[in-house]
Amino acid sequence: MSTDKNTKQVDLELRQFIKNLGYIAGGTALLTTVPWLQSFTTDKLSEIKNEKARVAIIGTGSRGQYHILNLLRIPHAEIVALCDNYPPNLKTASDLCPKAKTYNDYRKMLESKDIDGVIICTPLNWHAQMVLDSLAAGKHTFCEKSMALTMDECKAIYEAYLRTDRVLYFGMQRLFDEKYIKGLSMIHSGLIGDIVGIRCHWFRNNDWRRPVPSPELERKINWRLYWESSGGLTTELATHQLEVSNWAMKRIPESVVGMGDIVFWKDGREVYDSISLTYHYRNGVKTTYESLISNKFNGLGEQILGHKGTMELEKGQYFFEDVAPAPGILQLINNVEKRVFSTVPIAGPSWVPETASKQKPHYVIEGMVHTTSGGSMVGAENDGSDNLISAFCQSVITGEKAKDIVEECYSSTMLCLLGNQAMKEQRKVDFPDEYKIPYLKF
Amino acid sequence: MEGPCRVLRAVLYLFSMNTDYSHYYDASSLFHGSLLNIMGTRLDAVFIETDRALCESVWQKTVAELLRLDKMFNRFDIESEIYSVNLRAPTERVVASDELMSVLISCKRYHLLSRGLFDVTLSDFDAVDLDTEHQTISFSEKNVSIDFGACAKGYALDKVKQVLVEADIKDALIDFGNSSVLALGHHPFGDCWKISVENPFRTGEIVDEIELRDVALSISGNMPTHLKHIVNPRTHQFIEDKKIVSIIAQNSFEAEILSTALMIANHEEQKKILSHFDHALFKEYIL
Ligand SMILES: NC(=O)c1ccc[n+]([C@@H]2O[C@H](COP(=O)([O-])OP(=O)(O)OC[C@H]3O[C@@H](n4cnc5c(N)ncnc54)[C@H](O)[C@@H]3O)[C@@H](O)[C@H]2O)c1
Repeated sequence: MSTDKNTKQVDLELRQFIKNLGYIAGGTALLTTVPWLQSFTTDKLSEIKNEKARVAIIGTGSRGQYHILNLLRIPHAEIVALCDNYPPNLKTASDLCPKAKTYNDYRKMLESKDIDGVIICTPLNWHAQMVLDSLAAGKHTFCEKSMALTMDECKAIYEAYLRTDRVLYFGMQRLFDEKYIKGLSMIHSGLIGDIVGIRCHWFRNNDWRRPVPSPELERKINWRLYWESSGGLTTELATHQLEVSNWAMKRIPESVVGMGDIVFWKDGREVYDSISLTYHYRNGVKTTYESLISNKFNGLGEQILGHKGTMELEKGQYFFEDVAPAPGILQLINNVEKRVFSTVPIAGPSWVPETASKQKPHYVIEGMVHTTSGGSMVGAENDGSDNLISAFCQSVITGEKAKDIVEECYSSTMLCLLGNQAMKEQRKVDFPDEYKIPYLKF
Repeated sequence: MEGPCRVLRAVLYLFSMNTDYSHYYDASSLFHGSLLNIMGTRLDAVFIETDRALCESVWQKTVAELLRLDKMFNRFDIESEIYSVNLRAPTERVVASDELMSVLISCKRYHLLSRGLFDVTLSDFDAVDLDTEHQTISFSEKNVSIDFGACAKGYALDKVKQVLVEADIKDALIDFGNSSVLALGHHPFGDCWKISVENPFRTGEIVDEIELRDVALSISGNMPTHLKHIVNPRTHQFIEDKKIVSIIAQNSFEAEILSTALMIANHEEQKKILSHFDHALFKEYIL
C-alpha cells in the first residue's frame, strides 16, 4: 500500500503545513492561537526521522479505516495491531495492513508490550472505558471525538489525564487545519473587530443509517441513532464547531437553551434529526447552533461575526462590514507579511464606487481552500485529520504531551452534553460547577 | 421649505457616510487604514512603523484632515465654502478663507503654465476674479462655477504628507483612489515602493511598473465604465481616447494637475507644458 511516493508526499505535506504556519504573524501570535502546535516544528520532525511509533487501532470501522489510510502514508508510523469485535470490519482493515496482529478483545491487545500508542475509533459509549484502560496499560492514547457519552465519564478521563505521564489526544482535527488556524489567528489579531455573535450550522440530507446485515446488529451498526451509545447530532457534529466557537471566543459559554425533535426520519431512531441550540457567553455573545439532516441546502459552516467583519472559517473567507479593501493594497499587505518585495497593481484611473462590489470575499489562504459539503460520515480530505494523527505519532515517539487538546475536547463535549440536556428537559441549563475545570474561562 | 431641506440634508449625509477602517499587523509592524466615500473615491494608507499607537493617532489626524478638506472642496455640500462661493460669486464679491484663496491662486498659476488645459471652471477661468488685496472672489460670468475635482485629491495628499512628516513616519504608501499615490521612504523589504499600472480595458494586463521613493504619482485616463469624465476646457469636448498618462512629481497637487492637463493636451502642447516642469517624469500609454 504505502509506496515511496506516497510517503514522501505526506512528509512534505506536514512540513509544508508547519512551514506555512510559520509565516502567520511571525510565529508569536501563532502560539497564543494554537498552543498545541508548540512541539511541532520542522526540526523536531527531522529528529524523529528514523524512528517509528508502533500504533494499534481499536474500532476498525469507517473512521478507523480512514486513519489507517493516513497512517500508511506517515513515515514515522507503523500499524502493529488491529482490534474490532465485528469480524467484517476487522477483515477489511487487516487487508489494508496485513502485517498487523488482529484482536477481537481490546483488553487482550492492551497487554501487548509491542504497542506504544493506541488509536480508539469506536462508538461514543466505548470511549471512556477504552481511554482509561489504555492509559492504565501505559499506552499513549488517541481517541476520536467526542470525549465520552456522559459528563461523569468526561470528568473521569480529565482526571486520569491529570495523573498520567502518557500522551493523550482527541480527534479534534480543526485544531490542525491550516485554514482554521490562520482564520482564528486573524480573528485574534483583531481583523474583524470584537466578536459580537457566532452562527454555526451543519445541514445534510441523509438518514445517517448504515445497512444492517441482520436485525440483531441494528444497535451495534447504527449506534449513532440511539441514546445509549450516542449523543446524536451534538456529539457527532456540533462538537467540532462548538470547539471552534470557544477557540474564537477564548472562553466558554455559561448556559444553553435549545430544542430538538425528530422531524423527518421517523424510523425508530431515538436521537433528534433536527436541533437548534443557543449558547450564551457571559459577555452576552451567543453562539447559535443549527443542525438538520433532511435538507442540505446550507451545508456546514461557522460564521464568526465581528463588529468590523465576518469570518467564515470553514470556507476560509472573510468579509468586511463596510469597507472593501482595495485588492492591490491587500496584495501589498500579504506580500509584506510574507516578506516579499514585489510590485502591486494599484495605479490606474480613479477608482469610483460603482466599480467596487461591496461584499466581496477575501481569502484566508490565497489560492487554496479546501471546503467540504459536510456530507461525509467518514471525514473530509485535507481537514487536518492527517496532520493530527501524524502529530500524535510524533508525540508517541517523543512522549511530549500536546497542550490543550484534552481541555478543548472536554469543553466542547461538555457543551454537547449540556445541549442535549437542555433539549431533553426543555429548559435553560447552566454549566454545572462540579464539572468546571481550571482551564475553562467563562 | 425648512422641513424638506432638512430631510434632503439627512439623505445627502447618509449617502456620503465616510467609513473608516484600520488594522495593525503586529508581526510586520504594518498599519493599514482605509477611508471610504472620500472625495468620490477611497483612500488606503499603509504605514511601516513599530509604534502602533503613533500609527493610530496619525491615522485619526489623517482622517480628520481628509474629512475637513472633503467638506471644503465639495461643491455639492450646502455647508461647504465652495458651495457658497459658487452660489454667490456671480452676483457679489465673496470673502474667502486664506486656504481657499491660496488654493485658487495656485490653480490660476497652473492654469497658465498648462496653457489653459487645467481649469477648475472647466470652461473659463478668466471669468474668475481673485482679489488678493481684499481676499474676495467674484465671477464675471453667470454660468461659471468652480470644481476642484481635478486637484483636490492631490492637495489633500500634500496635507497628509505634512501630517506624516510631522509625526516622523518615514515609510508609507498612500493610495488615493488608485489615481493619486504618495510614496514616502520604502517597502520594508525593498529600497522603494514598486507599483504597477493596470490596463483598465483589459484586467490583469500590466502596462508599466513604476518605482517610487519620496515622490508623488498621478494617473489620468479613461475606463470602459467612465469614458466621459475628462473635458477639454477650450473645446468642451470629452477626451475619449483609450489611453492613460502618468506623471511623477515632487508634490501631489502638481502631479494631479499635470496628469489631467497632459491627458487633454496634444503632442505639441504636452512638450510645451512639460518645458515648465523639468523634474516631472511623464509617460503616456496608448491602450
Ligand atoms: N473526527 C471526525 O471527524 C470523525 C468522523 C467520523 C467518525 N468519528 C468518530 O469515530 C468514532 C467511530 O465512528 P465510525 O463512523 O467509524 O463508526 P463505525 O461504526 O463505522 O466503527 C466503529 C467500529 O468500532 C467497533 N467496535 C464497537 N465496539 C467495540 C468494542 N467493544 N471492541 C472493539 N471494537 C468495537 C465496531 O465493530 C465498528 O467496527 C466515533 O466516535 C465517531 O464520532 C470522528
